[in-house]
Amino acid sequence: MLVSEREQLRDNIEAWVAQYGANRSSLIPVMSEVQQKYGHISEYVMQVVADILDIHPVEVDSVVSFYSFLGHKSKGRFIVRLCRTISCEMQEKDRVARQLENDLGIRFGETTPDGHFTLEWASCLGMCDQGPALLVNERIYTHVTPEKVHDILEECRGTFGVYRPNAQTMMNIQDTDTSEMTFTGVDGRDGLDKAMKMKPEGIVDAIGESGLKGRGGAGFPTSLKWKLAAEMDDEQKYVVCNADEGEPGTFKDRVILTDFPDLMFDGMTIASRAIGANKGIVYLRGEYMYLRASLEEKLVKRRQDGLLGSNVSGINGFDFDIEIRMGAGAYVCGEETALIESLEGQRGEPRNRPPFPVNTGFMGHPTIVNNVETFAWVPCILVKGSSWFKKIGTEKSTGLKLFSVSGDCEKQGVFEFPLGISIHDLLKEVGGEDAKAVQVGGAAGYCIPAGQFDRAISFEDVATGGSIIVFGPERDMLAVAKNFMEFFLDESCGQCTPCREGNLRLFEGIEMLEEGRCSMKYLKDLRQLGESMQVACKCGLGQASPCAFLSIIDNFNDEIMGRVSAAC
Amino acid sequence: MSNLLENTTSRRAPASACLRNTGVVDTSVEVTLHIDGKEVTVPAGTTILVAAKKIGIRIPTLCYHEDLCVAGVCRICVVELEGQERLEASCAYPVTSPIKVRTHTRKVRMARRHILDLMLSKHYGECYACFRNNNCELQALAREYGVDFFRFGHPDKPRYKVDRSSQSLVRDMDKCILCRRCIRTCIDLQEVGVLDIDNRSCESKVVTFGDKPLGDVICINCGQCINRCPTGALRANDPTDDVWAVIDDPTKHVVIQTAPSPRAGIGECFGLEPGQPLTFEMNTSLKECGFDKVFDTNFAADLTIIEEGTELLLRLHKALVEKDESVSIPQFTSCSPGWVKYLEHFYPEYIPNLSTAKSPQQMFGTVIKTYYAQLNNIDPKDIVTVALMPCSAKKFECNRPEMCDSGFKDVDYGLTTRELAQMISEAGIDLPNMPKSDFDDPFGSATGSGVIFGATGGVMEAALRTVIELVCGIKVEDLFEHADIIPVRGFEGIRFMELPITEVGPVPDLLKNLVGDWDWLKGATLKVAVAHGTANAKRVMEDIKAGGRCSECHFIEFMACPGGCLGGGGQPIPTSPAIRAARAKAIYAEDAAYEIRKSHENPAITKIYGEFLKDGPCSHESHKLLHTHYLPRGKYIV
Repeated sequence: MLVSEREQLRDNIEAWVAQYGANRSSLIPVMSEVQQKYGHISEYVMQVVADILDIHPVEVDSVVSFYSFLGHKSKGRFIVRLCRTISCEMQEKDRVARQLENDLGIRFGETTPDGHFTLEWASCLGMCDQGPALLVNERIYTHVTPEKVHDILEECRGTFGVYRPNAQTMMNIQDTDTSEMTFTGVDGRDGLDKAMKMKPEGIVDAIGESGLKGRGGAGFPTSLKWKLAAEMDDEQKYVVCNADEGEPGTFKDRVILTDFPDLMFDGMTIASRAIGANKGIVYLRGEYMYLRASLEEKLVKRRQDGLLGSNVSGINGFDFDIEIRMGAGAYVCGEETALIESLEGQRGEPRNRPPFPVNTGFMGHPTIVNNVETFAWVPCILVKGSSWFKKIGTEKSTGLKLFSVSGDCEKQGVFEFPLGISIHDLLKEVGGEDAKAVQVGGAAGYCIPAGQFDRAISFEDVATGGSIIVFGPERDMLAVAKNFMEFFLDESCGQCTPCREGNLRLFEGIEMLEEGRCSMKYLKDLRQLGESMQVACKCGLGQASPCAFLSIIDNFNDEIMGRVSAAC
Repeated sequence: MSNLLENTTSRRAPASACLRNTGVVDTSVEVTLHIDGKEVTVPAGTTILVAAKKIGIRIPTLCYHEDLCVAGVCRICVVELEGQERLEASCAYPVTSPIKVRTHTRKVRMARRHILDLMLSKHYGECYACFRNNNCELQALAREYGVDFFRFGHPDKPRYKVDRSSQSLVRDMDKCILCRRCIRTCIDLQEVGVLDIDNRSCESKVVTFGDKPLGDVICINCGQCINRCPTGALRANDPTDDVWAVIDDPTKHVVIQTAPSPRAGIGECFGLEPGQPLTFEMNTSLKECGFDKVFDTNFAADLTIIEEGTELLLRLHKALVEKDESVSIPQFTSCSPGWVKYLEHFYPEYIPNLSTAKSPQQMFGTVIKTYYAQLNNIDPKDIVTVALMPCSAKKFECNRPEMCDSGFKDVDYGLTTRELAQMISEAGIDLPNMPKSDFDDPFGSATGSGVIFGATGGVMEAALRTVIELVCGIKVEDLFEHADIIPVRGFEGIRFMELPITEVGPVPDLLKNLVGDWDWLKGATLKVAVAHGTANAKRVMEDIKAGGRCSECHFIEFMACPGGCLGGGGQPIPTSPAIRAARAKAIYAEDAAYEIRKSHENPAITKIYGEFLKDGPCSHESHKLLHTHYLPRGKYIV
């Protein structure tokens, strides 16, 4: 590299650091800028950034290697990422993959010799209802067929030179089919106004009375989380919106972020009033980069309208603003402490809990992390009343919930149902009555066989963050299990032994089953291993990682048995 | 004063020093909990592991280390909490309420066994072909948990190439179980930042920057990672085969010098409790092994004190009397090769502050191949000098290209305490029960000042003992009882001392060539500081940069390793604050037992300046043989 190039590079990095702040928390945004501008992150860049941020180059290296969207290897100008997660897999992504390889003349993980294209796998892109989905730089393509592959690549080749990766291209995306939604009929502004007239404790109480629980899937009572954060004595508190929607089969947050972002922002503002925070952060998954511009526009508008900034809504002394921070391709960052680590410029590795984020979260300050949908329900509850929400659903799972439905059913899309709905009723609504199984809760969820379709989707029975994947009578359940294990094999953060090595062994076990090399004894060993993983992994995601494997092994014994080797 | 000095621990506090702060619980509150039915009361925030230890309940650990911050990643220490489905890592779980804990339920035993099985499914290598055989934490746990087959398989071929690029360390990632102790040692304890995790999931592994060979990165060779590695993934570069070969070669005159710290630690390799010195038993054993002469490195330590102390006085003279503004003060000690390389990488602009005096090891090497060779009429080309050191960085130091002032490689081999223990056991020698014998002439037994070089603050104490007597013309005992300069002792990360020079004495004969009188020092206050562990060194350096208290010091002792040489990267494994304290106790006890406890009173020192280095310390001849120069390396890797 020429000296002048190096100086230019250093200048750029210094400008980005100045923009994002001269502390480690800026590491990932700065690295993302470098990645976008230069196509890779060189060793020189890592050392310069380390120098400026006063950390070690090896730490920068470590962070870069953790996130799928950052890398040291020089990549092509167009990075083509094909989703290989279950819903796309079920929609013949293999044919698309083959065509991509044929057309480009490279394998996955490689770059064309001319440096134009890099071909990679992606984990769930949140387009499960419109698969197979393909991401070219930040541009998303859905319903991709082998025929369309050629057109897409030609379009890239043709626009070469004037292609602007930042250009927001939404026309590829079809509207997601949705049922009628409460969100459509609510003006979040009314909820916000109402909240601003209440005392902070009053807001917490109102949410508490509604019984709202976290819509991300863990089902922690929202008001309790807020109450704990509100009780902390700290001048600096944070409201973080978890928009890292990475669970396979989940795309309802994408719909909220596209169609109802103001509801979410209203909810965040109300939360900040409730706990006494002055800073909000939306952690948006890197795969949703194309949504960023419209969200930023909304924020500008809100600032103009006095809904963000100093003295929000005319309340003296209530300062609150929201920043959007991008993820960089790591499923595990959906775990709240991993998300905070990522915000702090670290590898997205879950922390030891306790302490919890409400006590020591982002930068050591009290932080609440809630899902996009949770925030969106908040203004609705204030507008329509806590008792309205509480009356819907079951005693322990109140209210309505959005479900992302994909797989073998007539109507894929986002549906609003009351919690407590039976799987059977849900299937009837989406035209999937002949299903032999339903995966509730994505890769980290459970596979429910037809015999248990009377079970209720609720926190007390089958919990979900919204992912519903329907498997028709013809599906090979072992292949399904394999896809899920493949997902965890790639997405485990790798810090704790049971998740890092355990998922590898479970995956290998499935391969052995496929080949008829797995003895009954070994299958039993793997089953027990899965049980150990459920109790011994460090974080919730690790603990949930063997669930799909275990439920498929248990519930589809007849499909599995024929493949077990005779040798015991 | 800059606030850098307030925090004397590393970036993330070590497990031994911190209650897990939950942000809500007042740590002054006591909590009573039950572990396996036994009651124990601890301050809120204490981890289950520590609480269990308090009542004698042992919970197995792997990633946990007292010196290091909590990771909670290996999960071997999981325990069951009453009323809770999932298990908790006892090393990371702070007790804040009266919980009931079970440490060996079926669920716990099952999980631990599975974790071990999973580790073993990736751990390549055979126990009997491993230097950690019988001293491996993974092996010990496998035995404890009755592992008698590899449930999830076992690798039959290596996945990685062993990295032998470093002169000091060898990395074999096939034995790594990803406990991350080395990372936490390198980044948080030492703040050197050579190792971190690369990639994620089952692809993750411990790497250097850009996965480069260890010899090409900014590793300072301190070897602290070796001391904390639970398996054989990290070890020192072992020259014992070469040493045996020269011993067996009748044409070679093989001389070994032994540093003070290995004596205080080697007993641990033979099953003794830490803190039982075996100095004189070791002398006999070395002879039994076949070494021709056994010398005490402390002689060279005394020589270092004279050279380095004189250098300091000359610097002060230049600054105070000659008003030479170019002179670099504070002067930094240069006996720790880990620290020297750290400075060369991270603060190369401060190289002028480093004492040019060589480390005792290198001084001795030069002296043996010049002075000793002349005295005994041996051709220096036939002399092989081996240095027994508590240190892995000494291997790098003796291979520095400039270290050949005798006309030959001054020190041929650096041997660690562990490697010598291996040689002794290979020779079938029962070290603890050997008869005692003295060091060989002409260097004989040295002084107590040389001995305490092994502990942090020791170099400073030795230097002060000499400076006080040579400059002030009084006895150290007049100022400090039994000549124990307590303020510079201890394990505090950074320590300061001020010594007002109220009176001065006559210039001793040794220094007459250099200064006429000491009057210019009268009324001055000598300010010194001591730092151990490079994390503390970093704090001192940043404080100097910021113009804080350290920048006003005249002389600062730096040791790369926590605790000083006694905690060196070549010392017996394991290490802990208690083990290091026991070794320090042994070292200070040995110092107290010496008749001569001040470097300048060492008769062998008087003799060498009388017979060989006739122009005295810091003269032309001494500069040629006993001083060196350094290399500004910088931290960027091209």
